[in-house]
Amino acid sequence: MSAMPAAPGRTGGDEGSRKESLPARALRALVTQRLVLLVTLLVGLLVVMKLLENGGYLVAPYSSDYLAASLIDAVALGMLALAELVVIVSGRGGIDLSVGSMVSLSGMVFGFAIGEWGWPLLPAVLFAVLAGGALGAINGFFVSALGFPPLITTLATYYAYSSIALVINSSSPISTPAIQELTWLTQTVELPLFGQYVPDFPMGLFLFAIPIVVLLWLNVTRGTFGRQLYAIGTNDTAARYAGVPVGSVRFRAYLTSGLICGLVAVVTVSQFASARPDAGTTGNGMALPAITIAVLGGVAITGGVGRVIGVVVATVLVVWLNAGILLSFEGSEGSQYQLLALGGVLIFAAILNGFATRRYGGTS
Amino acid sequence: MTMLTEQSPAPEPPSPRRRPLDALRSRITGQEFVLFGVIALLWTTLGLATDTFIDTGTLSNLAYVVAPIALIGIGMTVVIVGGGIDVSVGSAVTVVTVILAKLVRDQGVSFPVAILVAVGVGGLLGLMNGLLISFGRVHAIIITFGTLNVFRFIALRIFDSEQVAGVPDTLGFLGGGQAGETWHIPHAFLLMLVLAAATWWYMRNTAGGRHFYAMGGDRTAARLAGVKVRRREVLAYVLTGVLVGLAAAVIIGSGGLIGQNVGVGLELQVIAAVVIGGTSIMGGRGTVLGTVLGALLVGTVASGVTILHWPSQLTSLFVGVFILIAVGTDVLRERSRRRA
Repeated sequence: MSAMPAAPGRTGGDEGSRKESLPARALRALVTQRLVLLVTLLVGLLVVMKLLENGGYLVAPYSSDYLAASLIDAVALGMLALAELVVIVSGRGGIDLSVGSMVSLSGMVFGFAIGEWGWPLLPAVLFAVLAGGALGAINGFFVSALGFPPLITTLATYYAYSSIALVINSSSPISTPAIQELTWLTQTVELPLFGQYVPDFPMGLFLFAIPIVVLLWLNVTRGTFGRQLYAIGTNDTAARYAGVPVGSVRFRAYLTSGLICGLVAVVTVSQFASARPDAGTTGNGMALPAITIAVLGGVAITGGVGRVIGVVVATVLVVWLNAGILLSFEGSEGSQYQLLALGGVLIFAAILNGFATRRYGGTS
Repeated sequence: MTMLTEQSPAPEPPSPRRRPLDALRSRITGQEFVLFGVIALLWTTLGLATDTFIDTGTLSNLAYVVAPIALIGIGMTVVIVGGGIDVSVGSAVTVVTVILAKLVRDQGVSFPVAILVAVGVGGLLGLMNGLLISFGRVHAIIITFGTLNVFRFIALRIFDSEQVAGVPDTLGFLGGGQAGETWHIPHAFLLMLVLAAATWWYMRNTAGGRHFYAMGGDRTAARLAGVKVRRREVLAYVLTGVLVGLAAAVIIGSGGLIGQNVGVGLELQVIAAVVIGGTSIMGGRGTVLGTVLGALLVGTVASGVTILHWPSQLTSLFVGVFILIAVGTDVLRERSRRRA
């Protein structure tokens, strides 16, 4: 009966906007929470692949052993995506196109140290990471101290670094026995204690990827640097008035990217058993997939938004999607469909993100 | 940004005596003067240091190599001035190139049909970018990173896991061989010059052209002032796509072998040429003339490195340094302008 004016909290028509039904809430979470979307896609992918496997459409089983072993591809990709996360979050058009050539160049440095000069492993790794850090510092100097646009700065250093990486050893790779012995860094291993119950995971996951993820997560969510990073990414001017050392924080973002690239260089060198001068720049290079995964993981290209866990899940999603695609096709067709999948998923996620922002106002 | 309307009667300059240089100075920006100077300096140095640079063969090859980059650069300038970017042009070139190569070889289509197909397919790819960007309302760099992958997928499917060998010289008129030049000037380079001049005039002197600058300067303000922002945006990407089609025709040229890596990384070269030419990556500033000069500078460096017998990989190092110098002068100019 409409005789009484609708009492607040009762059957009012606009009540639905405050208290949604369960399906509506689920939909809202799906489109506004990137993590929910990614996990849903990941579960969907596993279900579909299992169905395909049972139907006999795959050339090899999509088993947990296969999935675990394929995670070796996630090591380099995920670490670079995290590097992009830090840089993109720092705002003012932050982006790093030079990651691929930083990997190439610090990989050559690593190759010289361990392969030609006969350094022990640890100092050589440290040297490679420092080399990457120096290259990242150059990017950071131009962007933060001189105010160059990041896209162009890193495009320029992409050219410069990749050129130096090629010239430094006359375009030939370094592949001495000392380097070929390094493959244990990335091979799959059986875990101690409960190793017989779970599949064998690649060593690189534990040596490189997981420590970096944990370190970065702690740094970004629990440390001053992280808070300042998100502050300058959200609003440069406001952060400056709030006393944040904007230039220094932004510089450290690019420095971090370089340091991570130095470590990724160690991974790629041991993976290929050779320090290749074009390791990070062949084809479309490493920067494009890394940026794609960062954006897929919910990093806003405008800065200030992005979570480590989102990027990690996005990496796993893309790697297992690629692994599944490889099994679905014979020959080289699979690697072509991987491109379609990567591009399609990126565009889909970006448009969905924009839709969610307008429909629900804000996304996480 | 004083010329926002088409027919605004330009007030006479206060000085009664106009020196001939003034007319030039008002049309050419500082960056373009600098680029002219640097290119002239490089040519003189290379001419004096070697006896093979100032040579019709070398120079016409230089002009032919520069043409596709500058052609796409024209469209890229419009896109970037309007506040966008297109990193998918390299993959788009791959798509158009493989379609053209197969058409010319297997169907034996004629020159005009091939050009029409090139322009049509290129325009379609550009339209796809433009619609996704302007109606999906997503940042241009993300959409074009996505379409970069999708276009490459399309191209590789058409390649069907092998190269296209034995392409006839149907498109030789635009190619780098004898059939492609008149008085040692490649037709591709002339085509690029004509299109660059037309676009330069359009961007400077028409309302439609000025709208791109308005959009790149402040998108919301431009929309409120009545600029049909979305239509302009789509137009810019379609123009780039059409030019990508022409560039693909130039790259096929006299035919031969078309490998699967054609066009890979071209987007970075194009963006480098645009930026060296003085276009601001933030939008709102830049000229097509600068882009052509930027492409010419990059081409000259590559050619010079080859002639001096330096390792060819050094070219990238010089390109990187030139980009940094170009951006540096741009940043400095912008700062002094803001202070003034």
